[in-house]
Amino acid sequence: MKVLYSNITKAIKAKPKIENLCDDLTLIGIEVDEIKSFQGDKIIDFDLTPNRGDCFSVKGLARDYCAYKDKKFSSATKSSFKGEKKFNKKINLFAKDACSAYSAVSISNLKLIKKFPDHIKKTLKAAGIQSIHPLVDIVNFVMLESGQPMHVFDQDKIEGDIEVRFAKTKEQIKILGEKNLKLTKDCLVIADEKEPIAFAGISGGLNHSVSKKTQNFLIESAFFLPSIIKGKARRYGFQTDASQRFERGVDFNLHEDALKEALSIIREIYQADISNVETIKNKYFPRKKLINISMEDVNLKLGTDLKENTIKSILNRLEIKFMKKNKNNLTFEVPSHRFDLSIKEDLIEEVARIIGYDNLPQIKNNSINQHYEKSDYDFINQIKTFMTNKGFNEVINYSFLDRQVLENLGIENKSIAIKNPLNNSLSVLRTSLLPSLATNLEFNINRGQNFLSIFEMGKSFSNDTHMEEINLAGLIYDDEKFKNWNTNQNYDFYYLKGILENFFAEFRIEKIFWKKSQNDLLHPYASADIYLKNKLIGSVGSINPRFIKSLGLNKAFLYFEIKVESLPLNDLGKLIAPSIYPISQRDFSFEIDNKVSFEQIENCIHISSKNFLISTKIFDVYDGKNISDGKKSIAFRVSWGSSKKTLSEEEINKEANLIISGMQKKLGAILR
Amino acid sequence: MDLDALKANLKKDFQEIVSQDELNKLKVKYLGKKGRITELSKNIKNLPSEERPILGKKIGELRSLYEDLLNSVQEKIELHIVNESLEKDRIDVTLPGSFKSQGKLHPLTITTKKITDFFSSKGYLIEDGPEIESDYYNFDALNIPKDHPARDMHDTFYLDNGNLLRTHTSPVQIRSIEKRGAPLKIICPGKVYRSDADKTHTPMFHQVEGLVIDENINFGHLKNEIMTFIDFFFGLDTKVRFRPSYFPFTEPSAEVDIMEKKSKNWLEIMGCGLVHPNVIEMSGLDSKKFSGFAFGMGIERMAKLSYEIDDMRSLFSNDIKFLSQ
Repeated sequence: MKVLYSNITKAIKAKPKIENLCDDLTLIGIEVDEIKSFQGDKIIDFDLTPNRGDCFSVKGLARDYCAYKDKKFSSATKSSFKGEKKFNKKINLFAKDACSAYSAVSISNLKLIKKFPDHIKKTLKAAGIQSIHPLVDIVNFVMLESGQPMHVFDQDKIEGDIEVRFAKTKEQIKILGEKNLKLTKDCLVIADEKEPIAFAGISGGLNHSVSKKTQNFLIESAFFLPSIIKGKARRYGFQTDASQRFERGVDFNLHEDALKEALSIIREIYQADISNVETIKNKYFPRKKLINISMEDVNLKLGTDLKENTIKSILNRLEIKFMKKNKNNLTFEVPSHRFDLSIKEDLIEEVARIIGYDNLPQIKNNSINQHYEKSDYDFINQIKTFMTNKGFNEVINYSFLDRQVLENLGIENKSIAIKNPLNNSLSVLRTSLLPSLATNLEFNINRGQNFLSIFEMGKSFSNDTHMEEINLAGLIYDDEKFKNWNTNQNYDFYYLKGILENFFAEFRIEKIFWKKSQNDLLHPYASADIYLKNKLIGSVGSINPRFIKSLGLNKAFLYFEIKVESLPLNDLGKLIAPSIYPISQRDFSFEIDNKVSFEQIENCIHISSKNFLISTKIFDVYDGKNISDGKKSIAFRVSWGSSKKTLSEEEINKEANLIISGMQKKLGAILR
Repeated sequence: MDLDALKANLKKDFQEIVSQDELNKLKVKYLGKKGRITELSKNIKNLPSEERPILGKKIGELRSLYEDLLNSVQEKIELHIVNESLEKDRIDVTLPGSFKSQGKLHPLTITTKKITDFFSSKGYLIEDGPEIESDYYNFDALNIPKDHPARDMHDTFYLDNGNLLRTHTSPVQIRSIEKRGAPLKIICPGKVYRSDADKTHTPMFHQVEGLVIDENINFGHLKNEIMTFIDFFFGLDTKVRFRPSYFPFTEPSAEVDIMEKKSKNWLEIMGCGLVHPNVIEMSGLDSKKFSGFAFGMGIERMAKLSYEIDDMRSLFSNDIKFLSQ
């Protein structure tokens, strides 16, 4: 809300420096967004919180300021307005508590007798309100000053009497700004005998609005219940000065005084025939709320030791009247402008606000007795640190991206779309981290990077039972021609697999299996799916070349993605004391069919040598010179040992021979 | 030749020795078939019997002198040999080491960790909740009913499956109370989403939310916790102010500002307050028995202040030159 500095100083009858004024208002919860110079004055733009409807006016701000500074504030300049003729329309309040009070006046034969006041024009301009018609300008000016929105109708366009009621089925209204609104039954309207003439508390109807030609005017000033106005304008995608005020709550005792204030301004400038102010109230008209509170309530919540009189006087400054005391219970009456005060905590905040939050004590906290357990968050941080130690830089990407990107990769199935995206490139939640990391790669290649090793831990989303899952994804891209002088690291499938093996070892995750990948995103012959027992938990390998282009790239990269939530959070289990007896080793080299996998060979060794076997370590795979076509040479070292004795030469020879014969029989391998 | 002269020669010869070769030659010179000491020993039998033991003793002395000299020179020669071979191993220690790239954590991760480590050490349990939330947990349970103007403060992304992307980490408050009951002390870091974007706002950002529920929690406890945290995060001499604000889920509510050291401007860093009794009730606790405080801050803002980053968007550009610093 934009307010002129001079208007506030006039209302508080003092002239604090603008910085001091703004500081004081900030300290009582009225935040200043910006201060701008304007026609030799200053515009202060306040960022009001939605609870403080009472501050949505110059007088409201002044009232709160004076309460804080303990200065006298007289809220209303009650004008004793009297009209000359009788208001001749009937006003019917059909909407119960939605509109329980309505004032109206008719004006005709308007003749300007004085120059239209500059300060009204200036005030409106500063507030960003367009000048429409002098009478409209005046009621808007009074709204800015007092907080009461009013509306001026062209009375000649109103047919018959006025009623306030909820909209009927299929009723429509064309509002100012040419918008045609289809109203629903929970929309409150002001109507004549024929149709709605205003969307109550929100906007006047275009067909009944004033123009230069208007001869007879009708001004409305009413009390609308905030809960009826709340959210309505937003539903149709707009907001007005009136709706903003009414939905936060406009003082229910203000409508008549504000209208009279406007009329006295009109009287000063114009010669006019003005009717009496017709005010209709029904039985639903609100009463001031009462709140019971005890001294203990206040002091327990604030950690203070305040006296009863202090609290009474603070609240009194805010026009919150002390009514009575019953044992420990103090009863206070909430003024008609404070819609935000309804429970005792609200009064406690008022006390704290006026004392000043900075003047309240600081009290040491007691420890709390609760159950502690290892959290996923710690696990996630450990994983992140593991990845950085493996040379990966952490990236963080938005969770949403362009639907087209998912479609190009064929992973749009079950994706969740955003109904109101900022733009198309942020329209759907990612089902995999791959597109995000690929975008990071493209970005960095375009900035001259030839090497990239990045990872992200973030959620992927899909319309499944679990709509979101934490994934760990990593990407390595290597197009560096000039390596470091002493290093020639090959970044291939086995490099990335090695890192993942380290990863599973680090977090003591066992029963991991690697199978040829079924993941369409990856190279069909150079990638693996990763299983924990028999559950698919991720994939690793080079990107399928057919996607390179659609990802905006021209060279392949290595990628992996793992579902972290599938992994067990293993603590360190039992530690086993190592054997004190020596380990025996033998090296083997076989020529074997090229299609036999290492997994098959390893299984064969395990089946063949059942006693004392500890491990098999592969140290060479070769299929070049001296090896027949379709064959490969494979060399490995087998280790045996016992926790009970040193193995004899004969025992080892026996096991070695079992391996040689097993390899021959089962896999057709020939010892070289 | 007299024995004393021989002794002097022996010592002199050993002094000049530097290599195994020379040592071998010396061995021949003194102890070879025609060596000096050998010759002397051969002479013994030609002497009269009473002189023999005297010469024998002297020759013995000469031999042990030879052994001593040999031992000491042997060490000298071995050291010389090792030193010579070490020379060949000379390297340029100023060349860089074998390449092993070291990655870096994202500045937001580091900032989050700095914050959660602090609260963790003060006995807070770290909790997380879903990023896809229901209207109920994101708004209703936090005392923000439909059509509440406070919903305007949250530009919400709605999803086609009827849910929304959480606009704050506060829903975790409710979920944690429901799950764990009270007393409760939790800290919840996480991603949140709002549909605005400019220099200071990104549609996705990070928050940390703290919640303490117990009997008789008051505003003084809240102030103390926040002040201790600010001392830790920004340093002891940081100027702080608390000012009234509005959040539907706290009452009283406060905004916390710190004074930026260079510009002397107040900067908003977090929102906080005593948990609104409606929220306590809605999460299934008795608001007459339990009270609590909650606080929340934007991690980007905290990162921006600690790393002196100008443009918030650089945190999400994922430029490796920025991240690998």
